[in-house]
Amino acid sequence: MQAGKRPNGMRRFCDGNPVYRIAINDADGENVRTMLETPETNITLQVSNITKRFGEFTAVEDLSFDVRSGRVFGFLGPNGAGKTTTIRMIVGITAPDEGSIKLFGEPMSFALQNRIGYLPEERGLYKKMKVVDQLKYFAELKGLSGQAADKKIDFWLERMKLSEWKRKKTTDLSKGMQQKIQFISTVLHDPDLLILDEPFSGLDPVNVEFMIDVLSEFRSAEKTVIFSTHLMSTAERLCHDILLINKARKVVGGSLREVKESYGTNLISFRGENAGSVLGDRSLVERVVSHADEQEIHLAHGVVPQRLLKALIDGGAEIGKFEVTEPSLNDIFIEKVGGHSDEPAAGVNAAAMRK
Amino acid sequence: MRKFLAVVKHEYKKVVLKWSFLIGTLLLPFLAACFAFVPVIIFSLQGEPTRIAIADPTGKIFERVERNLSSERMAEKARKAARDSIGQIDAAQDEKMRNTAAQFVQDFVLVGFDPSGRSVDAVRSDLVKKIMADEIDAYLIVPENYNDAAATFEFRSRKGGDFVSNDTLQDAVNDAVRSQRLADANIDENLLAQINSAVNFDAKGLNEAGEEKNSDGVFFASFAIGLMIYITLAIYGQAIMGAVVEEKETRIAEILFSSARPFELMLGKLVGVGLAGLTQLAIWVSSAMILIGFLSMQPEFQMVAASVPSITPLMVVYFLVYFLLGFFIYASIFALIGSMVTTVQEGGQFAFPPIMIMLSAFYFCFAVIRDPESPLSFWVTMAPFLAPITMPVRILAETPPPWQIALSITVNTAAIGVLVWIASRVYRVGMLMYGKRASLPEVWKWIKQA
Repeated sequence: MQAGKRPNGMRRFCDGNPVYRIAINDADGENVRTMLETPETNITLQVSNITKRFGEFTAVEDLSFDVRSGRVFGFLGPNGAGKTTTIRMIVGITAPDEGSIKLFGEPMSFALQNRIGYLPEERGLYKKMKVVDQLKYFAELKGLSGQAADKKIDFWLERMKLSEWKRKKTTDLSKGMQQKIQFISTVLHDPDLLILDEPFSGLDPVNVEFMIDVLSEFRSAEKTVIFSTHLMSTAERLCHDILLINKARKVVGGSLREVKESYGTNLISFRGENAGSVLGDRSLVERVVSHADEQEIHLAHGVVPQRLLKALIDGGAEIGKFEVTEPSLNDIFIEKVGGHSDEPAAGVNAAAMRK
Repeated sequence: MRKFLAVVKHEYKKVVLKWSFLIGTLLLPFLAACFAFVPVIIFSLQGEPTRIAIADPTGKIFERVERNLSSERMAEKARKAARDSIGQIDAAQDEKMRNTAAQFVQDFVLVGFDPSGRSVDAVRSDLVKKIMADEIDAYLIVPENYNDAAATFEFRSRKGGDFVSNDTLQDAVNDAVRSQRLADANIDENLLAQINSAVNFDAKGLNEAGEEKNSDGVFFASFAIGLMIYITLAIYGQAIMGAVVEEKETRIAEILFSSARPFELMLGKLVGVGLAGLTQLAIWVSSAMILIGFLSMQPEFQMVAASVPSITPLMVVYFLVYFLLGFFIYASIFALIGSMVTTVQEGGQFAFPPIMIMLSAFYFCFAVIRDPESPLSFWVTMAPFLAPITMPVRILAETPPPWQIALSITVNTAAIGVLVWIASRVYRVGMLMYGKRASLPEVWKWIKQA
């Protein structure tokens, strides 16, 4: 990985957020992060060097990251990487052994829980309770008064097209409906930070699209969404920023753009004739992978695409296609996590709860 | 605080709005009331008085029967019976008896029937005709040889099943004939009654201070109180366990823990379910009091009502206090078990030890009833876990000195403090541990670490 900074040193985000930020990982995978001109108020969540151990087992080790307000933050990693443990620390279910968590600029406290909406991966509803009663209870636990809750419940049931199920018991609902009820319980109190653990599992494609619509409303309302998933395509579609962790540690993080670019600038899809000699030049090209119709060129260290393009043109190659491609999040995930993504999750979960 | 109240409300409603609660709480007293009220109501509802024709060829018996069925005589009889069974009767009770007697008397209309030398068969066929013509409802034929022990008094009625009226009439006839026989033999009836009257056997217990107390019925009342507390503790303890396991099984715990403090959640659960238990007890106790109050107004049940030991309002307060003490002790144990296990069935196995402790406390009640002042009674009413069941029994059997009650309440409150503390630690960790049941060493570690 590149150890040095990019030539221009900083980058303005295209969505107009006045935050200048660079996230670059050095060769050891140790994160070196520079934050410039970042007002504290724009940070919803600041996680600093947190570590959580359960006996011998370290579930999260020295993890630091920020989540900026008004953005969708993808929290990625294979099963057992420490995602759920980290989320539990963020929502205040457990406390980190070391390090600190600041939410809305304040240290994590029970009072702040009211501003978080949390949809756990393991979902649950009271089986024999009416939908409206459970929602009201969960809303009251988030500090909402009964009347305010009633209004919100009606609004959200209408929004989710579940109004007619208001007085039904959980056991009468389909799994997808239960999922939506769960979601309503997470957003009823109008949280400033929404944390969704695998929000789309168990939903059919129509409902996934529907939920994405609802989520984008949150984004535009300057609310922050953190969502954890192992579906890279979803993350790629929704997230502004990502954080990939593996084996309790951070692997890569930053805006989706940055992350992709830091992997992507050395990859070129190429189709053309008379390029053999240039492509054979080890000072320009590290290796070439031939596919059926085109070639995938991996640039040598420190070579920018323009230099190769110039060399090809100068060398008289006939170019059919020359495209700087970015790797998909899936490629990055596989490269970074490798074959370790199948860690026994059950063991970790059990260990994570031992304390 | 608001969240705590939300939890209390939620848990309370969850228990109270269940069918089983409604049935157990309302239907039981209702059924008990039905068994007590319905017969009384039905018998007081006799509409038409019974018209009885008495064919008395001797002319001596009819008047006496009529006199015996007068309201004064009926009240006099009831008074005498009451004095024999319960000793003193006050003015109010006396008044009540007089009214009851007056009401009773209206049930009979006696009609004279002159047999005037006709044969018994002719008289009988005449009377039967009258019954068939609905002029009378019943007839009584007094035999001429009424003095003979073998003589038969023929009574026939269309209301053969009206055993209360029949009994009353039979009593009246019996008395009338006996009086007539005494008169025939020249024996003074009043003198005989005086000679025959039973001795006044005054049996009462003495308490420590040498004051008299009524020991009748103490055993049964104490037993009932002990059993009631034991049953409610067992039911509500297990209700808590079920609620905890459900939240763990359905993974609701994670949502709850991200919304409120575990201690708040746990205490809210205990208080909510505890209030539901108090509600049930309050309904039971008040309906029992109404029932006893109603029964004591009925002369037929006065004997039973009088043997119920006097329960002062202070005692009721003590019972509720001890119910709460016991509830918090056992409920926190059951909550602890619930957060350790993964299913209700698994919890059932772990529930065995606390149930055994409760049961042994219940058995100790017998020792306490028999000798409330013994050292054993003292210790089992002080010990945590046992006192909530044994102490109310002891208070009812013989109220111990206040310092002992205070000490026992203090000891058990301290035990609750420790148990709730331990339970909320185990709860915090155990509720998020899925998949397998926690071993005891693990639980011990949580208690030490968390």
